[in-house]
Amino acid sequence: MLTLTKDRALALALLLIVAVMWMESGSIAPPTSWQPYGSALFPRILLVVIGSFSLLILVRSLLVKVPERAGAKQLVAGWFKSRRTILALFLLFGLYAALLPAVGYIATTMGFLVASLALLMGIDTRRKWIINLTLSFTLTLVIFVVFRYGLNVWLP
Amino acid sequence: MTNFFLQALAEVGTPSVLGLIVIGVLFGIIGGSIPGFTVTMAILVVFPFTFAMDPVSGVSLMVGVFVGGYSGGIVSGVMLGIPGTPSSITTVYDGYPMAQKGEPGRALGIGVASSFLGTIISVAVLVFFGPLIASFSMNFRPWEITALIVFALTLVAGLSSGALLKGLMAAALGLLITTVGYDRNSNLRFDFGLPAMGSGFEILPVMIGIFAFSQLLGNIEKLKDEKSEAKNIDTNVTIPYGQILKDMAGQKLNTLRSSLIGSLVGALPGTGGTVANFLSYDQAKKFSKHPEKFGTGTPSGIVASEASNSAVAGGAFVPTLALGIPGDLPMAIMMGVLILHGITPGPMMFEQNPVLVGAIYASLLIGAVVMVLCNLLLVRWFAKISLIPQQILVPVVLMLCAIGAYALNNNLFDIWVLFIFGIIGYLLWKAEVPLTPLILGVVLGDNLERQLFRALELNESWLTFLTRPLSALFLALAVASILFSLYQDRKIQRLKGAAQQENV
Repeated sequence: MLTLTKDRALALALLLIVAVMWMESGSIAPPTSWQPYGSALFPRILLVVIGSFSLLILVRSLLVKVPERAGAKQLVAGWFKSRRTILALFLLFGLYAALLPAVGYIATTMGFLVASLALLMGIDTRRKWIINLTLSFTLTLVIFVVFRYGLNVWLP
Repeated sequence: MTNFFLQALAEVGTPSVLGLIVIGVLFGIIGGSIPGFTVTMAILVVFPFTFAMDPVSGVSLMVGVFVGGYSGGIVSGVMLGIPGTPSSITTVYDGYPMAQKGEPGRALGIGVASSFLGTIISVAVLVFFGPLIASFSMNFRPWEITALIVFALTLVAGLSSGALLKGLMAAALGLLITTVGYDRNSNLRFDFGLPAMGSGFEILPVMIGIFAFSQLLGNIEKLKDEKSEAKNIDTNVTIPYGQILKDMAGQKLNTLRSSLIGSLVGALPGTGGTVANFLSYDQAKKFSKHPEKFGTGTPSGIVASEASNSAVAGGAFVPTLALGIPGDLPMAIMMGVLILHGITPGPMMFEQNPVLVGAIYASLLIGAVVMVLCNLLLVRWFAKISLIPQQILVPVVLMLCAIGAYALNNNLFDIWVLFIFGIIGYLLWKAEVPLTPLILGVVLGDNLERQLFRALELNESWLTFLTRPLSALFLALAVASILFSLYQDRKIQRLKGAAQQENV
């Protein structure tokens, strides 16, 4: 069975994106007499370039012998497992973006900072909690004041 | 131009703008002195604060960050033995040994003085060559501009990390990102039925997402790999001014050569401070009467390193201002900031916005003076700040990026753009795809498409790109840069193979 490597995963993912975007480019307005090249030509040139390079990366990766490893499923599962902190941080940021319009800047930002600082620094000592809460509280308010009153930018 | 420069100096010389330059320099030094933070990240964090400012104030603040950032690596390099930025790696070679011998003040003083002179010489290069190149490029028509952008992209793709295929692919991907939304003919492209996609992606959230997430999360991954030791450093530093003046008096040629190398390298697309740093250190060693002293704490090594990396700041402005083509990441973001303030960098900028060009010159000069004062007076504080752990920095910077993206248009969609491109950037970085060509593609995409089709509308034959001498020259250079990168890639592979065989 084919072993999944970084290059192979990259090339396959890009080829999939190229295929989807090529199909989507079919819905772009066609060329007319006053726009002889049409709006789809430029992105299609780029899609051909990206597709060709992705194919080359794939072919080149297939020419290199890779020691047989676990299947794709296990590899992907292992990749996610070893990056739990990173994934949790992404998740927290996604939540932050989602809650910002509903809950507002101050509560969401404070929540994001407390949670992500706890995730990265840990919460095993009283000192860490004090640093976490002081920093989250102060920074949230300072940024709010600077943007709202200093720069006239309304935060949600 | 002198009149405009004096006018710009008057605008930059107001207390509020001077205050912004000081803040920018301070923040730049702090950003540059924190290992893993980089000048680019410092610029990204500061740029949202420029939204509500007038162009001169905004640009002055950013230039301050630029000047401070390129000099910031000295502190952590000398005091901790860790380069604050990649462009100060060679500062560590001689700065740290000198500090270890009990002369940290001397090492810092030499570094700061070299940084100052490097910046001043690079401003002279910018003042001389900027308008010259701009007036030459006024003759460029769409064919030449298209070919020049293609050349810049291939050069950056080839030089960025030795992975030519991935670099070229990344550049094309960056260009593709700019095709989302309404195009030059008001036709909708790749909106996937989502109304928010209709207006396309703002380049700044895309750039921040791609760069900041990969960089910050990469720092977190590194922390897991390396057991970081808490360093106890002595921040009680005294600067021996007399000794430094004596040291610098013997380094005139080295300072000039290193500053010119830095300015030249800074002006080339895809290179930047790291290349300037190594190239200049290598040249100083070759020209030195005592090459054996390099790496043991010689002033010549610190001068070569710091004069060259600081000179990159002025040099990098040459192609950005004169041609509208940024050479590296910090400049790509700087160009984004200029565009945000309604200014299109390029040859016309010298005619349309001479005061702003003058303000950039003036900010660079004033920033250099402020940088010296800040570094010498506040060195012990910067040394302490450089110890801020990544675990605290990463969440704070991510939050500032989100607020920056939102504040751009008061639009929550831009935070989602930041997030999605953050994921894409992180995955591409894990797949070892160089991100600089991608970001450059995002910055240059709109202009490339506009110029390409303007050329084809003027003359429908694609062959015109090859029959016009300058356009043909740029395209030939693009091909040559690809061939050179292929040759370099092969050479690296051969060396790797030979090293592996030796190990077996």
